Amino acid sequence: MIAVQARRSRRVERIALVGLRVAAGFVIVAMAALLVYLALEGTKTFYVDKFPLWSFLFSPDFSPDAGHPGAAVYIAGTIAVTVFAIAVGGPFGIAVGVFLAEIAPYRMTQILKPAIEVMVGIPSVVYGWLGLTLLVPLIRTHTSSPSGFGLAGAGIVLAIMILPTVITLSEDAFRSLPGSLAEGSLALGATRWQTITRVLLPSAASGLAVALILGIARAVGETLAIQMVIGNSTQFPQGLFAPTAALTTEIVTDMPGATQGSLLQHALFSMALLLLLIAMVLIVLVRFALRKRA
Amino acid sequence: MAVAAQQAPRSLIASGNVRTRKFADGLATLVLWAMAASIIVLLAAFIVYMIYLGGHALTWSFLTRPPAEHEAGGGIGPEIFNSFYILILTLCFTVPVAVAAGVFLQEYARPGTFRSVVQFSAESLATVPSVVMGLFGLLIFVYTFHWGYTALGGALTLTLLNLPALVRVTQEALGSVPDTLREASMGLGGTKWQTITRVVLPSAIGRLTTGIVLIAGRIYGETAALIFTAGVSVTGNHPYDLNPFHTAETLAVHVWYTHSESVVPDVDRIGNGSALVLLIMVLVFNVGARIVGRMLTKRFTGRAS
Amino acid sequence: MIESPAQTAAPIQDKIVADDVDVFYGSFQAIKSATLAMKAQHVTALIGPSGCGKSTFLRALNRMHDLTPGARVTGEVLLDGENIYGADADPVVIRHRIGMVFQRPNPFPKTIYENVVYGPRIHGENNKRKLEEIAERALRQAALWDEVKDRLSRSALDLSGGQQQRLCIARAVALDPEVILMDEPASALDPIATSKIEDLIGQLTEKFTVVIVTHSMQQAARISDYTAFFHLGEIVEVGPTNQIFTHPKEKRTEDYITGRFG
Repeated sequence: MIAVQARRSRRVERIALVGLRVAAGFVIVAMAALLVYLALEGTKTFYVDKFPLWSFLFSPDFSPDAGHPGAAVYIAGTIAVTVFAIAVGGPFGIAVGVFLAEIAPYRMTQILKPAIEVMVGIPSVVYGWLGLTLLVPLIRTHTSSPSGFGLAGAGIVLAIMILPTVITLSEDAFRSLPGSLAEGSLALGATRWQTITRVLLPSAASGLAVALILGIARAVGETLAIQMVIGNSTQFPQGLFAPTAALTTEIVTDMPGATQGSLLQHALFSMALLLLLIAMVLIVLVRFALRKRA
Repeated sequence: MAVAAQQAPRSLIASGNVRTRKFADGLATLVLWAMAASIIVLLAAFIVYMIYLGGHALTWSFLTRPPAEHEAGGGIGPEIFNSFYILILTLCFTVPVAVAAGVFLQEYARPGTFRSVVQFSAESLATVPSVVMGLFGLLIFVYTFHWGYTALGGALTLTLLNLPALVRVTQEALGSVPDTLREASMGLGGTKWQTITRVVLPSAIGRLTTGIVLIAGRIYGETAALIFTAGVSVTGNHPYDLNPFHTAETLAVHVWYTHSESVVPDVDRIGNGSALVLLIMVLVFNVGARIVGRMLTKRFTGRAS
Repeated sequence: MIESPAQTAAPIQDKIVADDVDVFYGSFQAIKSATLAMKAQHVTALIGPSGCGKSTFLRALNRMHDLTPGARVTGEVLLDGENIYGADADPVVIRHRIGMVFQRPNPFPKTIYENVVYGPRIHGENNKRKLEEIAERALRQAALWDEVKDRLSRSALDLSGGQQQRLCIARAVALDPEVILMDEPASALDPIATSKIEDLIGQLTEKFTVVIVTHSMQQAARISDYTAFFHLGEIVEVGPTNQIFTHPKEKRTEDYITGRFG
């Protein structure tokens, strides 16, 4: 009786294992398919339409109707808005991360951490909408910008969106430091702030680098929120208050109207491929930074 | 300040230095407190502002009527329905595959090529921006499969987008179950599969569910991937359409659409109302995730955590 | 305050005195009515079974409990007659004069040089030449100079465990403190490194007052001048080391020393 039951159990186990392996294999298939399809479609601009890669990357003239989709404007826009976001959100995020790990009393963490989790949960459209209805009019009235759309608005919205990522990862980086480090510094008569700046920050450097890189990755890939505030005008970012565009926003703006197989669509797919490559490079950087820590 | 006997030895700089340092310490602490508080204030302000702007739009008719093409007075009924529809459809695909893959990686897989490749694929998939995933969905489901814009295409695209996150959640949930439980079950003669289904998974169910509900919240708010796969309109004839092969504009997409393309005169009201409803739904998911997770853990394990 | 050699004929001063000190963690009392006078430029050892409160008491001597939420210290600790828990007393200044070496070496992930001069730097010393002088002096006092003088700009984490601990001692000594508190400084080290540290402690008393917590009675017997025996949060007996180990007055002390418990 026991033997029969055991055999049955073994059979169930074997079937289950097959199912699990298939599921795991599916993950590989999905990723591979994604890479292949996007690579194929994204390179059509270059080998079907014969548009030179160099021009695509560096020419500011984006006129696909005339056969010349130069994406430099969008690349510049992506870089500009990301730099803005990380320049504002990076230090702020690390500071709050330090606060949570070293200074905040329990009560405060109980309020702040759920708040940050809520921030993570807010969809990007809602951030975009808030930017559109709150921030853009504010910029319009208080600065030289005629419309209020532009880098400043997009950068601020993006900075707020990457804050939770940078904060949580920074906090983790500080919490993973051994307590004996801070103890040693304080026992030598350092103040808490001296301990944070002279010992903890340098020691957590690789973890903080990860926080920043992932914040950048988030910023590069963000689409809707920026699209609603950046102005979507194909011109180089000229200062903080002129409308401009980024790779992600351009895709969302022009893809719905693009005809299948057109040069415009090919160019947009090339931009998507570029985004994918940037994301992968960033992840490789993160792995590199993590290895340095060990 | 310290009495004479407690000052630093004369060979180093005098006690003025201590005063400066303490001042810097106090100032820095103050600034950090302000930064942390500003986040809370900002968040509260956002929520209050949204309720203020969109609150009055939340009428029953708004929540149930279909959107209007050109006149005022449209609603978001079908969009709300579609959001849930696509959510459930997505979860139907994501949960089985991700949990299975997670169980495999955490409980069965021996270190080796297959395991590393799976892990690497999952991590890479996680880095793909949602708009890029949307284009992939466009390529496969809309073009290659010739489906056009469909709810199913959207759901499958979202499955790919959220697979890595759920795999990670599964792995963490399983990892939080102590090995002693597994040993106990195996020691009583259970097979690995029995151990997992009868002991490990029930113990992990709380955390797993919390993770699933949080991801559901993310799916509910997803936009970029759906614009190119599920489309920006609802089928005119049957707004509460259950056919997965029809277009299905979700609430999140609708918020974007009204502010980018829409031509109705009461754009503001619709946009504000939609955004508010979306926010409320996401908050419900967020809060609900923890409550459900805690309840389930208590139910299945008898412990509070 | 620091006695010069010419005064050694005079009676030995009390450098740091604990007077009726209690330490509470929340509602749990870890130290009860501890009273102990530690003599200047001598080594006082604190011994006792694990968990008896020796480390807790040691940390009360440089106000390390200020850093633990929920910890409370009552009573007085007098450094040259002034209470370090007084209303005007500043922990930052106190830790300048009373240094601490921990059980596990905890060098900062910086160069050897930066580790040693960390203390003087944070207290305001910026003159490069002075710092280099301080570094050499401190490393010599910690018997580490010869081993590291050619690689001061290498990472401190590359040193062996014993060297790291001597670096931590150098780091504490660089501040020219008056008292050095040591919490089982050799317990994480191998026997050779341990004996180096023990020799070092003997040399340190030329300038400093040393209070050392140790779980090894043999170590206490080897290096200390005075010994205090702790049990269940109380100081059971205090006296010259010789006397404690050969003619203990309390039964509990005798039981511990003869190995009946602990």
